[in-house]
Amino acid sequence: MNGEQRMQTNANEVIIETHGLTKLYQMGSETIHALAGVDMQIRRNEYIAIMGPSGSGKSTLMNLIGCLDTPTDGEYILNGTPVQGLDDDELARIRNREIGFVFQTFNLLPRASALHNVELPLIYAGIPAKERQEKARNALATVDLADRTHHKPNELSGGQRQRVAIARALVNDPSILLADEPTGNLDSKTSEEIMKVFEELHASGQTIIMVTHEHDISERAQRVVTLRDGLIESHDAKADGLMAGV
Amino acid sequence: MFVLEGIWIALQQVWAHKLKSAFTLIGVIIGITFLIAVITVVEGMNRYVQEDFAGSLFGVNTFTVVRRSRISTGAETQERRREQARNPDLTLHDVQVVRSAVPDAWRLAYSSDRGFDEVSYKDRRRRNIRLIGASEGYEALQGWEVTRGRGLTPLDERRGLKVAVIGAEIEEKLFPGLDPIGKEIRIGSQRFEVVGVWDKQGGLFGNIRDASILLPFSVYRQTFARDPSDVDQISVKMRSLEEMEAAQLAVEGALRADRGLRPGDENSFWIETSSELLDTWDKIVRVLFAAIPGLVSISLVVGGIVIMNIMLLSVAGRVREIGIRKAVGARRRDILIQFLAESSTLSIVGASIGILLGIGIGKGVEAFTPMPASVPPWGIALALTLGVLVGVGSGLYPAYRAAKQDPIVALRSE
Repeated sequence: MNGEQRMQTNANEVIIETHGLTKLYQMGSETIHALAGVDMQIRRNEYIAIMGPSGSGKSTLMNLIGCLDTPTDGEYILNGTPVQGLDDDELARIRNREIGFVFQTFNLLPRASALHNVELPLIYAGIPAKERQEKARNALATVDLADRTHHKPNELSGGQRQRVAIARALVNDPSILLADEPTGNLDSKTSEEIMKVFEELHASGQTIIMVTHEHDISERAQRVVTLRDGLIESHDAKADGLMAGV
Repeated sequence: MFVLEGIWIALQQVWAHKLKSAFTLIGVIIGITFLIAVITVVEGMNRYVQEDFAGSLFGVNTFTVVRRSRISTGAETQERRREQARNPDLTLHDVQVVRSAVPDAWRLAYSSDRGFDEVSYKDRRRRNIRLIGASEGYEALQGWEVTRGRGLTPLDERRGLKVAVIGAEIEEKLFPGLDPIGKEIRIGSQRFEVVGVWDKQGGLFGNIRDASILLPFSVYRQTFARDPSDVDQISVKMRSLEEMEAAQLAVEGALRADRGLRPGDENSFWIETSSELLDTWDKIVRVLFAAIPGLVSISLVVGGIVIMNIMLLSVAGRVREIGIRKAVGARRRDILIQFLAESSTLSIVGASIGILLGIGIGKGVEAFTPMPASVPPWGIALALTLGVLVGVGSGLYPAYRAAKQDPIVALRSE
């Protein structure tokens, strides 16, 4: 079944599926239900915004989707692979292959050039240097930074840094692009520029999941998932109606 | 990949903070410098003593009877030395005693020698030479090879012929571009015909051998000896070490019997062997080498602790970097390897500096003293291995701390 799914170019292929996803934290004697059983499906080439007030569990959900953390209970199937119960190194492999992160604070290596930053996932994927550099250059070209390959992050503007981060997220052809408040540190003009990049990527077939608390940003997505108290409060489907079942 | 990255980061850090790096690495540098300096000097001397000195002075499987010990091992007491000073001179009679004690000797030769100030041929002269009055077979026993002409023969001795075999330096000085064979040289007021030349030894102590002139013993005794009855040394060469040891005992017994010594009396003569010299040398080397591990390991442990602290600081300052690397797919072992590579590189940089300084000290010793320096490949290999061990050892804990960082926490840090 997995194999067949992968072979299909069908845009409706389910790429993320969770069942009763639960995350508990122990705070002293108190148990906090950061996620209290989340069921969701995300299909290939969807563009989703996850919203919610602070404490709603959106960061926890993002960490789980990004395979930075494992659930206390429930199932998470990413691109056909059940992720719950994997160990640290297996999670690292999955992050490397399946997920491209874009962070609010860019999270670039400060002493490394743009090119080297973009190469980083390929280094851990074990790709030979020549191929790596070519791919990294291509990824930088996709975000219009072909002429900034040898600049260090502190020689780039905020928007350019975020585009380097996007190039890094894309360079290993991930299944999903996972953006956490990608415009949170940018002015509105630059935010617009970054949102345009996301829209272009979406148009070219990229699956995008974006965590944000800004309504005007979330409205750019096809679908908005709103969390409250560790549960999904609503699925707000947009024009094309790619509503996923609960 | 991340190995290269770790190495690269370490080199950049060393370069960016040269002074800090110098302090960081000082323990390793001192330890390795000391290690290499001692190995260099000791190995140089060792090689010299074993290959040149002992061999050329005494020859292999050879023992020499002398009046008193010429090598001070530092082990004898004052009294012992005074006692030896009362030993009688060796004579030709002793030669007969030795000869009959070891009838199966491969070679047996006796000689006396003295320094002499000048030898000349026409208007050319060589100063500070050594005259050796020797029996036939002396040069062969010493392992000197007569390359042109001939050595001394029994006939020279019996007839008291005024012939001389000369060392290579004397030939170079007196006969540049000439064939010395058949030429007449002047030593003091006497004229001698050169009949042979032996091969050049060169090197530090080669000048003793290369600037010597060999004369028939009887001629030397009549012409140059201070005390005509005196034989300075009687040397016996055997075919193997076992034979030599047996012959040495036989000679000792025969001389004691001839001199009427009672059991319990000390020998009134001294027997030298190359192994005696080498034993003394071995003792010195052993003490030196025994001191190395202690001193070196103290500085390396200190050096390792300093590197560990620097690495812990480095890890603490780069938590976010670790988080980023983990987010994009670095496994625990990737991070571990990166930081181990970094600490090892630091340590190897220190070790390399230490190796260079150590070699420098060795070469300095060679330049300002007559001791040769020799850096054995195993010394450098040992130093680099220690460098890697210190690097890995001191990097292990910091690297482990880095590797087990939770990526979520690490990404939020700062």
